Amino acid sequence: MKLKIKFTLLVTLLFNVVAFSQTSYTLTGKVISGFDNVAIPGANVVVNSKGGTSTDFDGKFSIKVNTGDIVQFSFMGYANKVVTISDQKTLDVVLTSNESQLEQVVVIGYGTQKKKNLTGAISKVSSKVLDQIPTSRVDDALNGQVAGVTILQTNPTAGGAPTIRVRGQGSVSFAGSPLIVVDGVVLGNDADFLGSLDMNNVDSIEILKDASSSSIYGSRGAYGVVMITSKKGKEGNAIFSYNTYTGYKYVTCQNIMPSTQEWSKRVLAQNNGVLTPQMDMINRMGVNTNWEKVMYDGGMITDHNLSISGGSENTKFRASLGYNNDQGAQLTDNFTKYNFAVNLDTKSGKVEYGVVLNPSYTKQRLFAAGNGNINYIRQQPWLPIYLDENSLKYVNPSFITQYNLKPGDYAEEKFFTNYNLATNTAGTGTTSINVTGDGNPYANVVERENMVYQTKMYGSTYFKLNFNDHFSFKQTIGGDYRQIKNENFAGPKAFQFSAPSNAFSNYGTVTTSHYALESLFDYHRTFDKHDLSLVAAYTFEDFATETLSINGGNYTNDLIQTISPANVAADGAFVTKSQNRLISYLTRANYAYDDRFLLSLSIRADGSSKFGSNNKFGYFPAASAGWRISNEKFLADNKVITDLKIRASYGTTGNNAGIDDYANQEVIKTIRTGFANPAGVTGYIVANLANNDLKWEKLVEFNPGIDATFYGGAFGFSLDYYERTNKDLLLNLPTSSVTGFSTYLTNAGEVQNKGFELELRSTNIKNENFSWTSSALLSHNENTLIDFEGNSGLISSIDPKRAAEWIALEGNPISSFYGYVKTKEIDPKYIKNPFFPIGGQPQDVYVEDINGDGKITTDDRTILGNPYPDFVWSLTNNFKYKNLDLSFMFQGSHGAEIRILDSQYINNEFNAFQDFATATSAAPANGLTPAQTAFPDAALVQQRIFTSDDVQDASYIALRTINLGYNFSKDVVGKFALSKLRFYVAAQNLIYIMANGYTGYNPEGIFPGATSPLTNGYQVGAAPIAKTISFGLNVQF
Amino acid sequence: MKNIKYKIFGSVLLLGLLTSCTEKDLDLKPISSTYEGEFFKTDNDVYGLVLGIYDGLQAVPMREFTLLEMRSDNATSALHEGEYQELETFDVDPTNSVSTNYYAANYNVIYRANQVLDNVGLVVNASNKTLFTAEAKFARALAYFNLVRAYGEVPVVDKLVTADDTQYFAKKSIATIYTFIEKDLIEAITSGLPVKISSTSPTFGRFTKQAAQGILSKVYLTQGKFTDAKAILATLVTDSKYTLQTGATGYSNVFKVEGNDEILFAIPYTNDSQFESQTFSIEMTSSGGASGLNYITNNFRTFMLASTGDYRTSTNMLGSSNILTNKWTRTSSAAALAGNDWVVLRLSDIYLMYVESILANGTSTADATAITYYDRVRNRSFATAVTSTSITKTMLLNERRKEFAYENQRLYDLIRFGVANTVLGAYFTTFTTTKDLLLPLPQSQINTSKGLLIQNPLY
Repeated sequence: MKLKIKFTLLVTLLFNVVAFSQTSYTLTGKVISGFDNVAIPGANVVVNSKGGTSTDFDGKFSIKVNTGDIVQFSFMGYANKVVTISDQKTLDVVLTSNESQLEQVVVIGYGTQKKKNLTGAISKVSSKVLDQIPTSRVDDALNGQVAGVTILQTNPTAGGAPTIRVRGQGSVSFAGSPLIVVDGVVLGNDADFLGSLDMNNVDSIEILKDASSSSIYGSRGAYGVVMITSKKGKEGNAIFSYNTYTGYKYVTCQNIMPSTQEWSKRVLAQNNGVLTPQMDMINRMGVNTNWEKVMYDGGMITDHNLSISGGSENTKFRASLGYNNDQGAQLTDNFTKYNFAVNLDTKSGKVEYGVVLNPSYTKQRLFAAGNGNINYIRQQPWLPIYLDENSLKYVNPSFITQYNLKPGDYAEEKFFTNYNLATNTAGTGTTSINVTGDGNPYANVVERENMVYQTKMYGSTYFKLNFNDHFSFKQTIGGDYRQIKNENFAGPKAFQFSAPSNAFSNYGTVTTSHYALESLFDYHRTFDKHDLSLVAAYTFEDFATETLSINGGNYTNDLIQTISPANVAADGAFVTKSQNRLISYLTRANYAYDDRFLLSLSIRADGSSKFGSNNKFGYFPAASAGWRISNEKFLADNKVITDLKIRASYGTTGNNAGIDDYANQEVIKTIRTGFANPAGVTGYIVANLANNDLKWEKLVEFNPGIDATFYGGAFGFSLDYYERTNKDLLLNLPTSSVTGFSTYLTNAGEVQNKGFELELRSTNIKNENFSWTSSALLSHNENTLIDFEGNSGLISSIDPKRAAEWIALEGNPISSFYGYVKTKEIDPKYIKNPFFPIGGQPQDVYVEDINGDGKITTDDRTILGNPYPDFVWSLTNNFKYKNLDLSFMFQGSHGAEIRILDSQYINNEFNAFQDFATATSAAPANGLTPAQTAFPDAALVQQRIFTSDDVQDASYIALRTINLGYNFSKDVVGKFALSKLRFYVAAQNLIYIMANGYTGYNPEGIFPGATSPLTNGYQVGAAPIAKTISFGLNVQF
Repeated sequence: MKNIKYKIFGSVLLLGLLTSCTEKDLDLKPISSTYEGEFFKTDNDVYGLVLGIYDGLQAVPMREFTLLEMRSDNATSALHEGEYQELETFDVDPTNSVSTNYYAANYNVIYRANQVLDNVGLVVNASNKTLFTAEAKFARALAYFNLVRAYGEVPVVDKLVTADDTQYFAKKSIATIYTFIEKDLIEAITSGLPVKISSTSPTFGRFTKQAAQGILSKVYLTQGKFTDAKAILATLVTDSKYTLQTGATGYSNVFKVEGNDEILFAIPYTNDSQFESQTFSIEMTSSGGASGLNYITNNFRTFMLASTGDYRTSTNMLGSSNILTNKWTRTSSAAALAGNDWVVLRLSDIYLMYVESILANGTSTADATAITYYDRVRNRSFATAVTSTSITKTMLLNERRKEFAYENQRLYDLIRFGVANTVLGAYFTTFTTTKDLLLPLPQSQINTSKGLLIQNPLY
């Protein structure tokens, strides 16, 4: 084999020698750097891979050549350039930085391609960038790295998954997270797998954004594809690397709830210098608890990774062991991860074999469930965590007797009632300062243990047969296994003294096993000016899911937290199983002519068991083309334009996620009823309507784009425009109830996302000692509900108790906030008790009478905004001075709104204490009393929580990461027998600027239970944005 | 050496090809549930579907009280918020999801009943066949009775239909619906439904002949068919299988002692069960997801407290604050898993309906039988018995209000007595006469009816 190549080379050389040996002359010229046109001194000039020279101080060279010689110019940090000598006497060579992305190889799904030949919209983030970000999750590190990919820290707890969206919200029913593919194994749309991977093992992440690129994943590519490639071993001696960092995570207090002192001052100022009885009692107690500080206690984050990699010519390997612990910034949240990864590739003759295996185990303790932190932060500052001698003096004695209260017991608001201010005795007066009947907020968190244990593993192995240099066959067997185990325990003390019997536990597992067989033919050949690669594959995938859940109750203490027979709750255990399959055929052709004309055609056929008998198979074609104008003759010598490509793609892809495995068929389930089943009889119901026509959701996208680099890579940009239309959405549409059901699953509706993405890269300064590079990303997306199959105007709410809050109106985004427009506050003189509780706001405000009928009815609601940003950007700067490097990234989002409930809770916006003065709390709904008519414009008020007051600007600008590192020079490192030693200090979210008028903790925050696209942007109790400062060390030896 | 490798490779390839699958492998059937192909075969399969009807019925009372009690002068909500506020202020939007779910829950019962009737031919055992048919018809009639009273004219389906059967989408007249209901009930009564023999037979919670007769008489009363009602009620009031709970705790025991002999029909739930518990008990307290529904109005509180010495006060209203009703107070350990049964029909209702049928829309009656049964209900809740001299319409309405507070009767009583517009108009300023006596048809139903379903007047 190798002999053949050598022989051919020899013959060619001989032939060359024979053909051109006659003319030998001296070639002179200059080597300059592409991006600043500055001469490169010391560049190597080598003729025919044998001896040569190097450039002088002015970048000039002079060397003897023959016509037909091959001269190679090289310099560290620049891409090599090869010139075949015809008969030129002088030659100026422009070297381009090898950081130029053009030569980068990009993983495109079932193959790779050079970036310069890409015709679709694919973004690559390399480990060089990712390694700079000390975080426990891969997806967190992606934040701000790719235009068109938004990563929101919707609930940033320790180990918690962010929300990833590629190019806007396309589905109405499915949250729409991208497909995750790791080392070729398709792991599905569950972004949570990214939390189990070790950042240190990631070599690159590619994101397939447009439908033409992702259509190779057929019925699963509609929400983009995130492809992760693990680091692999390289030929050479084994390299050990050890990476570690340790840091501190914390939350800056926002102090949304005023302190007792602040509120006291306010009361004095606004109440003619007189304290209200309640404020008087609060002041006498003298307790001031900052619940924010209690709940956001900060935590350490630690990470260790040891890896070994290496290999011979034929066999390469890498193995790594990782540990990560993130204590989170909130009380009790904690995440620990153990990760082991190994990969091996070997080659013998025509056969190649490889294996990759990555098991991981994570253990996570969550912040107590419910409405996240809000139930705790909302607590009054006068409430102590524990009762003590002092606070017990203010407790109504009836509670002391009832619950045998003593110092050290948890305090509850409702204990502090009926205080007598005149005699300074508890229980004999009329002053009560309690607002809620809730238990102690601290107890509510720490007396619960909500654990998640995840065991995950993915792996694959392949045999590859290379028939010849061009043609190969590869058989892969891969898959993944994951078990997510939830163990929740809420002890009796987590509840009020009055309700210890609410103690409960839950033990549940969801086990998913997935295997995939993939047979793939690959053909790649270059002849003359043609470059052709063909891929054809067949894949078979099987997914099985098993769910187990057991509920426990009757706990009287927290000594034994597991579920014994005595603790099993009635009907509290079940196991369910389900399965689905996918059979696919795919093929793709990539063709390049003369490095100028590029064409890519592909089609995938997917058959899924999830779909109706009439529509088992779906076909997903795609085409894209590009023209590298810079390789045309008229631009060949252009000094400014180094590379210029225009491209366009059009493709179809689909989605089959977000529906049950058997959603297409009529399913008959067992049930029980309120009386015992007759002997021998099981109860059944038909659970849904069958839909034999059910099929995949379809995405069609058109994506033209330009890629350009100038001055040899000094400056470059990529611009993409896209128009993507999701059709035949998988929707649970309302149906006529005469069918027996209120909804049925069908394909209907259309959503469009269009926008642009701009990526700018520039090398501002580069010389031996100092370099400065920048990159900027900007994206804009516009979401429109085009067709909602007769349901336009659908109003959705999360809780019937809350007003209908979202409207899905054709011509507008999928979900828009809906409600009343606040005009002004009610004069405090009409408020019953404007000074209670602490932090309280009047529950009503004046709103706009939109239809002008003189009263406020549901017809006065209007669109108040939407949760989709207009612009998202990031700006990254990297500086390098000698051994010192500094990089930082700012990221921002503008134009989104959020429906915030945090302030509702904290400011007690629905508290009857601050109702208007003339209404009585007992019967405010019984129409208007005569006294109330004196209240000006009483008909024009509406509760604050239904108004624009709680729809707030969610824009932000964050300093996402900053990293300052020092690389010890080779000679220093060598003394310790090391090959690399780097120290760094890094920080995340050090600066986080929120919009004016935003009153929460996290403008990116979304209530974890509200992921439906129809109720997007519902914020209640999302964890706050945490800041992290860490110190790290990278060692290689 | 090389040969061995190729062999290994060849066998891997072969393995790949062998495991190659065809479209047939995509035809997967559910594992943890069953499907048409293997179901619908035996008597017990149909019996299982009959139990499914009762399962469907459990969904009906969950929020029914917010549509009926909160749309009357009896109840309001704690926070006056959101969709529940629409109900208590008589400003119900057709998109109101509480109403939409109620509508769907009743049609789901009808669907499950039709499912049984559609498959009852599979039943070999003749007596089971009649029993299943009768149970299905009773359930269907009950659901239509709920619908016609809440929404007025609605579509009627008597078989399984699909979303393409548009001939079933349009509303039927109220008279047609009542004819349909009467037919189903009469068929259920005359053939099939078992007579209640003892408190354990038939199983508490299953339909009996007496229950169907009681509902039928209410159907008659609602239409003003007093003679028809009276004929049935006359037999029911003397049925020895049923007795009023008596004594100072008698009224309370109707709700606290499940399966007592006053109840003709109740929808049973189980305490602390993940699947068989109800949530209306918790929703009626401040611990509910809505922070308190079904709160007692001043109007009712004043009314009830005026009835001095009435044993019913402490059941209708809880404790000294009289804000919550005590009727459905849970006994479960888990707050959200209450097992209190929902009482649909009980003997005191039969008694008072009997009085109503004798009164026959008159303003008063001195009929001795009427007075007897009226006084039995009244005197059961007082230490000292009285004997009335005559019963006026107002007395009867007020007695019913005290007796059936928070049992979803008040609104329909006001309508049946012909005083709803006056009473509710006086109670709430934004009440719109006639319009607000019916709920709007759910917007989703209008939208999906291909233009065939017309919204109720004034909505």
